[in-house]
Amino acid sequence: MKDRKIKFRYFSIVEWEKEQDFLRREGLNGWHFTKATLLGIYHFEKCEPEDMVYQLDYNPDGIAHKEQYVQMFKDCGWEYVQDYFGYSYFRKPASEMSGNEEIFCDDQSRLEMVKRIFFTRMIPLIAIFFLLIIPSLYTQSTDPSSAGYVLSWASWILFVLYLFVFLILGRQFWKYWKDLSK
Amino acid sequence: MNSHIQKVYVPMTETGFYILLCLLEESHGYGIVQKVEALTCGQIRLSPGTLYGSLSKMEKNGLIRFIREEEKRKIYKITDLGRQVLDLEMKRIERLYQNMMEVRENERS
Repeated sequence: MKDRKIKFRYFSIVEWEKEQDFLRREGLNGWHFTKATLLGIYHFEKCEPEDMVYQLDYNPDGIAHKEQYVQMFKDCGWEYVQDYFGYSYFRKPASEMSGNEEIFCDDQSRLEMVKRIFFTRMIPLIAIFFLLIIPSLYTQSTDPSSAGYVLSWASWILFVLYLFVFLILGRQFWKYWKDLSK
Repeated sequence: MNSHIQKVYVPMTETGFYILLCLLEESHGYGIVQKVEALTCGQIRLSPGTLYGSLSKMEKNGLIRFIREEEKRKIYKITDLGRQVLDLEMKRIERLYQNMMEVRENERS
């Protein structure tokens, strides 16, 4: 019987709740999460089924002051696992909790995290969109050569892809924003 | 106190209030968690993500200041600006309490 496995999963930058649930479910099924590596590869090793609660924080300031940041979570009983794409992963056995414990205790701080994700991840995307994609669309559509034709198609595809991503992420952000600010 | 500080911190969240109240004396993050738990008889247990976020934001806004580090724990204390904000908030809570008691008295009589 294999005692290690990997799973491929893709979670967008606003799907941390789904990711937490995924990791907890694996634990309940007897797979202990060891690490996540590039391209959405999640590594697990076989264990006795465990109810381990996973929580993701997004805090660039915390990553910049890693030691103090991790220490504060440790003091509160949360084990630090790793950082992955700006997120920090923490876990705590449900048996050590009094009721439902989370790493945030009020909606305002949950909203602060959503804002941090939005400003550090979404704003750069939007900037690239307006500073690179739209201008290239404009210059290439006025280029009559065949290379210009191909490039212009490439830019259009990029443009549509971008719009699609914006719509999906924008909707998820909006939902969080609305729920958390009541 | 400028209008930005007013807008962000008045009125304050329960978490924010307890953090400032505890930082009238020097303390590190986990010290605040323990103090609040004792003050509220275990009813409020601050979570580390909330606490870390609040402390860095308050430090950035000048409500508290970093004193020193002890065993990887940052120790903070309230500043004059922090005290002003806390005073405003205390007055607001006193008013709430007084109004509540007045209404209660009137209901009884």
